[in-house]
Amino acid sequence: MKGHIVLKMATRMMVPFILMFSLYVLAHGEISPGGGFQGGVIFASGFILYGMVFGVEEIYRKIKRKILIFMTAFGVMIYSGVGYITMFNGGLFLEYAKLPGLNMKSGNSMGLLFIEIGVFITVSSVMLLLFIEVSKKYDN
Amino acid sequence: MIFSLGIIVILVASFFSLYRVVKGPSFFDRVLAVNLIGTKVVVLLVLVDFLYNRPEFIDISIAYALINFIGTIAILKLKEKGRLD
Repeated sequence: MKGHIVLKMATRMMVPFILMFSLYVLAHGEISPGGGFQGGVIFASGFILYGMVFGVEEIYRKIKRKILIFMTAFGVMIYSGVGYITMFNGGLFLEYAKLPGLNMKSGNSMGLLFIEIGVFITVSSVMLLLFIEVSKKYDN
Repeated sequence: MIFSLGIIVILVASFFSLYRVVKGPSFFDRVLAVNLIGTKVVVLLVLVDFLYNRPEFIDISIAYALINFIGTIAILKLKEKGRLD
């Protein structure tokens, strides 16, 4: 997009706050509406806004495509990795109280946060990849 | 009392905007009216927050304002260029 100076300046000012708000939604997912999925979607929407205004190539200058594809699987690895760590420590799958070095109370909070970080990474990278593919193939 | 009255006023005003969405002669009138309804919904969510004393609604209203802004830009860009990148 050439010109559109107001849109570009508004986007430049809004994107950091959008990313910060997504981290807030992620961190407060237990006591307020939100969580990993919603925070991931908001995080991706910040980059989608950036990509719509400045072009998709600008997203690739921030995040390489290979890293983006790697992140889609990395979040799932965090999720199931927490589950297997609890299994190796003698609990059930995703039994947070058996996390190493944590007791019943703090294990529940920290385990839930790790799970939501995994969901956050996967959802945000998948949403960003979906936007990139759809916007690329739209022209006939 | 004042919050209930505010909610009623916002709802009536958003129905006026809905008339413009249905009737609007051009495409841009409809986009502007949908954007206006979205802005009213943000105020409506904050009023519901104060009415029922539930502070979570502030987060939802911030997220709704964000989605409204991005959606409007996406629709206008799709109309102008025919593609999104």
